[in-house]
Amino acid sequence: MLHMILALVIFLITYVLIMTEWINKMTAALLGGFIAVTVGLVHQDKALHGVDWNVIFLLIGMMMVMSVLKDTGIFQYIAIKTAKFAKAKPLRIMLLMFMVTAFVSAMLDNVTTVMMLVPIALLIANELKISPIPFIITMAIASNIGGTATMLGDPPNILIGSATDYSFMDFIYNLTPITIIITVSSLGITYLLYRKGMTVTNENRARLMDYKEANLIKNKKLLILSLTVVGIMLITFMLQEVLHLEVASIAMVAGLILMIINNRKRVDKVLMNDIDWGTLFFFVGLFMIVESLIETGVIELVSNKLIQTFGSDVRVTSIVILWFSGIFSAIVDNVPFVTTMIPLIQGMEGHFTREAMNPIWWSLALGACLGGNGTLIGASANIVSIGIAHRNGFHISFKDFTKIGVIFTLNSLVIATIYVWFRYF
Amino acid sequence: MYLASYLEPHDICIETKFTNKHEVYAHLVEKICHFHKLPIADNRILEMVISREEESTTAFPSGLAIPHIRLEGFQDTVIAMCFLKNPIDFGGQQISWVTLIITNKTSSKVYLNIVAALLKLSKNNEAMMAIHSLPDGHAVFNYIKKMGVEIKKDICIADIMITNPITINPDALLSELAVIMHGKDVSMVPVTDAANNYLGEVCILDFLKVGVPDYLMMLDNLNFVSTFEPLEHLFEKQDVMKVKEIMKSDKLVLKPETSIIETVFEMMQHRERHLSVVDKGKLVGVVSAMDVFKKVIRA
Repeated sequence: MLHMILALVIFLITYVLIMTEWINKMTAALLGGFIAVTVGLVHQDKALHGVDWNVIFLLIGMMMVMSVLKDTGIFQYIAIKTAKFAKAKPLRIMLLMFMVTAFVSAMLDNVTTVMMLVPIALLIANELKISPIPFIITMAIASNIGGTATMLGDPPNILIGSATDYSFMDFIYNLTPITIIITVSSLGITYLLYRKGMTVTNENRARLMDYKEANLIKNKKLLILSLTVVGIMLITFMLQEVLHLEVASIAMVAGLILMIINNRKRVDKVLMNDIDWGTLFFFVGLFMIVESLIETGVIELVSNKLIQTFGSDVRVTSIVILWFSGIFSAIVDNVPFVTTMIPLIQGMEGHFTREAMNPIWWSLALGACLGGNGTLIGASANIVSIGIAHRNGFHISFKDFTKIGVIFTLNSLVIATIYVWFRYF
Repeated sequence: MYLASYLEPHDICIETKFTNKHEVYAHLVEKICHFHKLPIADNRILEMVISREEESTTAFPSGLAIPHIRLEGFQDTVIAMCFLKNPIDFGGQQISWVTLIITNKTSSKVYLNIVAALLKLSKNNEAMMAIHSLPDGHAVFNYIKKMGVEIKKDICIADIMITNPITINPDALLSELAVIMHGKDVSMVPVTDAANNYLGEVCILDFLKVGVPDYLMMLDNLNFVSTFEPLEHLFEKQDVMKVKEIMKSDKLVLKPETSIIETVFEMMQHRERHLSVVDKGKLVGVVSAMDVFKKVIRA
């Protein structure tokens, strides 16, 4: 019992430190994890065994893939091409950029996506002499929605995919359709919110239309090679079940090959600049802390309580998890939340059939990913986007973001509820 | 080691008759060739001195000029000095003391140390006044010997820095900064208050950055844009923005006694080509990589 309380205290203090960012979140998570080991809650071997290396290596592999894809200039090329395709009309650009951001973010990490595309939006808004703020807010939102679509799109999905035996294709079957529906309805909301008030002069429009976006592709050969490797990687992901491969192996092989193709002499630089070691060790620390909760029996206790409360009603359990995750993720980082929820839900597995667990897992994924739009601090992509705007003299307050974000989040969660309700029951 | 040890009374003269630097050079070369055995003829040496001077000026702000050449196969360092009662114009600088040094191709250390000692002496106003009032070379030699001017071991940054650099007030407008940078052809200006306290510095890139927003810096590549309005409209901002809004106050500064090697090291470490020299909070000079190059490496 004492061990349980101690484990909970370490867990809660770490959580508060991560939420408030009083210290760097990697430091907080690792410190929590190793203190749990030091005070004897869990043996070090056991704690390190709790680290899901499939997740860590999938993240490393995808970071390598991203670093090469970013180098090719393809995403910024697409963004400029999109703006020109929209004939430099602001509302059209905004809607198309929403789609592009959602699409890119379905394949890449959300933060990387906004870091590449938000500067382009600022540039376009500057040329058109319109406020970039609506673009920045909607793009952050789009990145969180798009990230829901696939296993690679958002860390909660990576965590869930690795902890369960769901394959890459299972995520596509279960999450992509609903993501498309939510994206389309979000485009409608964007249209309603911003349809008025954005006008541009012909002169400004002409400046944008003069962009020579083809120059962004510095090395066509590298682009074709990279896209080929990424294409093969995606096909392998889709055939994951047939080939009996774990996602981390596929991503690592693709990432390493891409790095060598891009520039084998720059590998050291990629390791230093593009592999986000802070995030990786943040995950390691979280896994260790959660392992201490499992070891001391806290997780089992809470799992049993949950089952006692909701009984065996899968439908109610799913909807509760969807909304609870949605609201919780709007306030805190969804990574520690999902890391903790996974063993809790695994603890319930004995009480339900294999089939019955499906809506519960998908509800967790939908809630955790979509909830991030609820407030400014709900997702890293929001914080990063608003940070970029801030450094360029455009100040978006917590309230400014949240009053828009809440509309999109409620819309997403309501649609997700209807989807879970009708698709799985 | 003393400076006087490198001198002979007959290598020193005090003159009134010269009106340009070539006359001084000719006189000094003649003197050196008369008293020392050099591997090549005096007219050839004079040519070398003049062509070296044409490459870059040998004049220092303290009123001293040090023409010099390095001779292949000459295993010594010889010095001749001429104090001018009527200063001569050396490309804008009034020079009242010319010291010709002929040295070998390899031992730059001895040479640099002599230069440092000469520079230090040239900045000692009291001594310079006294020397200029002496009757002849013999008296000057004795004066220098009595003063005990030492050839110090290492030349330091105070010896080669630009003293009294152009500065700007933190409340000055960017337009004033533009006038200074353009008019004086400088790319870095130290920022000081009325009491000459060092506050920071502004460089040409900080200025241009006003027209280049942060988001552009996040793009890997800007070759798809050919014009950019904020940069073209930089002049609109320069009448409203102040120097303190763009100045950097956390820049590395050097102490006057910093060695040359440390200066070069710091310049490379921080990738800076201009550094401010600060002594007890007061700005005392500016040193550029080009100063180091011109006055030390190519000296």
